[in-house]
Amino acid sequence: MGSVLALSSGPGHQNWPFSTDPPPSRWDRRDGRLPNPGSFHSLHRSCKDVFPQQIEGVKMIINKTLSSFFKVSHTLHLSAVSPSYYRFHVEHLQSDDYSKDKDAPALIGEMDSSGSLNAHALLHLSERVRARTVFQTQQSQFVTWQFETEYRGNDFTAAVTVANPDVLRESVILVAHFLQSVSSGLVLGGELVYHRGRAEEGGILTLAGQYSRPNWVATLNAGKGGAHASYYHRANKQIQVGVEFEASTRTQETTTSFGYQMELPEANMVFRGMINSRCIIGGVLEKRLTPLPATLIMGAFVNHRGDKLQVGLGVNVG
Amino acid sequence: MGSVLAAASPSPAPAAVAAGGGQGVPGLVSVPPGFTMPSVSSVPPTSGSGQQTSDADSLLPNPGTYEECHRKCKEVFPLQMEGVRLVVNKGLSNHFQVSHTITLSTQGDSGYRFGATYVGSKQTGPTESFPVMVGDMDNTGSLNAQVIHQLTTAVRSKIAIQTQQHKFVNWQCDMEYRGEDFTSAVTLGNPDVLVGSGILVAHYLQSITPALALGGELVYHRRPGEEGTVTSLLGRYTGDNYVATLTLGGAGAHATYYHKANDQLQIGVEFEASTRIMTITTQDNWVVGATLEKKLVPLPLTLALGAFLNHRKNKFQCGFGVTIG
Repeated sequence: MGSVLALSSGPGHQNWPFSTDPPPSRWDRRDGRLPNPGSFHSLHRSCKDVFPQQIEGVKMIINKTLSSFFKVSHTLHLSAVSPSYYRFHVEHLQSDDYSKDKDAPALIGEMDSSGSLNAHALLHLSERVRARTVFQTQQSQFVTWQFETEYRGNDFTAAVTVANPDVLRESVILVAHFLQSVSSGLVLGGELVYHRGRAEEGGILTLAGQYSRPNWVATLNAGKGGAHASYYHRANKQIQVGVEFEASTRTQETTTSFGYQMELPEANMVFRGMINSRCIIGGVLEKRLTPLPATLIMGAFVNHRGDKLQVGLGVNVG
Repeated sequence: MGSVLAAASPSPAPAAVAAGGGQGVPGLVSVPPGFTMPSVSSVPPTSGSGQQTSDADSLLPNPGTYEECHRKCKEVFPLQMEGVRLVVNKGLSNHFQVSHTITLSTQGDSGYRFGATYVGSKQTGPTESFPVMVGDMDNTGSLNAQVIHQLTTAVRSKIAIQTQQHKFVNWQCDMEYRGEDFTSAVTLGNPDVLVGSGILVAHYLQSITPALALGGELVYHRRPGEEGTVTSLLGRYTGDNYVATLTLGGAGAHATYYHKANDQLQIGVEFEASTRIMTITTQDNWVVGATLEKKLVPLPLTLALGAFLNHRKNKFQCGFGVTIG
């Protein structure tokens, strides 16, 4: 059950290469105890970040940092296949300590020129308990409203999410996640999804496992709804590679994807390429135009089977 | 009838004729940039090829060709770019240049195109040599070919052929005579003896004063069962840093204004009104577009980015391309 739809966030969303952070790892404890495994959603993230994002049309993003707590961004998107829009995005961080951390407590809101709203609130209620609320609307109609609570123990994480509870229609989706560090490299866990509507109810259990070494990470989710396996490998400082396999019993389809990311910090350039079993080949190039605080993004995706090409250009300022 | 735009030399006026079979032919012959091509200067004060104006007061300069009058303004306008394009130009010798183009298109067809240019050794000016042969072939077999040759100091001739796969779409021959202060040209387009059809175009352009040039165009087209003529008049006025051109005729009015503000900025304004229904070329209103070309200096690469937005039809196109060499 997919939970939160990704926010369109600015740079820093993918593995931005110029940070000096070490390769993705969880909280490393030097005292011999097992580290906390992080959240369930980020199991496949390091592999997914290698793949290029589908880019289409012309996009201009202007990021403005008003203070260390407050960030604003304007996005203008002109597109050939979907309606063009202007989007306003604002972020308010609770504290300025964790500015680079994805799970930092923050209030994030995004509003479209058509009136669609996307709002996230992440709160750290205590050192171990986190809460997240998400609201998404499509123009005036609410599409998603969900509430999540996560508890981070010493070597485990447990989370409960209530999605789209609707008293009038008597429908709700409940998701429970559990992840346990079994050894220094191995994490095992599971996800239980229970959905209930007026006419039906059901549950799906998915088991998850992740094994990581300093240079690579392998993850597997398997259950009645399908399987999702990913492998991420960091070959050297410049090249990262990801392989992903997805199978769904509902749509009776499988997809295998191969992607890589090449960083050239001297040339201020990052290139991401991918190819998958649906005969889609894509590449996105990001280049920082050094004297200016701007990044130029050029990308193209070709679907050979359907004979379609999508071309995109983007400029990120600030 | 589609017209072949070349870097130089006369070609029949683009939209003057209601010929039945002409479809929008893809791919005009484009001469690779940076190559010495016989270029005919279009603005009279800078001396035209072959004619020296030693005494500017008593001698009027050659006015250039009829087609070039609107060209300076048209060159300012960005090309509509869409999809991805990679161009590799390779100069094999002083006379021969070859280019490979790979196009991936979002709307049209993707393909590969091979182009070759040969420039002969008869040199008539510092940047002009003849004969010039330009050829272009598509991966579907469509061919564009042109041969331009300077027969005598005043007479230049051109033969151009265009095919769509194996079918000949355009075949024309023209001859241009440059006098001291006038230019006249005759073009014979798609002559078909068996069917009895063809197009004949005659151009005449005369310098009245060093800044003013007037001219006319007569198009005679014939098909089995019908024949007709269209005439147009052209006037061009050149100032210090601007050129204004007006064409009036049976096919409508076309006015362009070109202004060179400084070394870095050039501006063009164009107005076009047509009296007949244009089925081949479409003039859309409310189009906003831009193209950026940047030379990536240490490498012999040029990057081009472009986007076009048609507000009225709500259509958007963007594309980028890389030229190597």
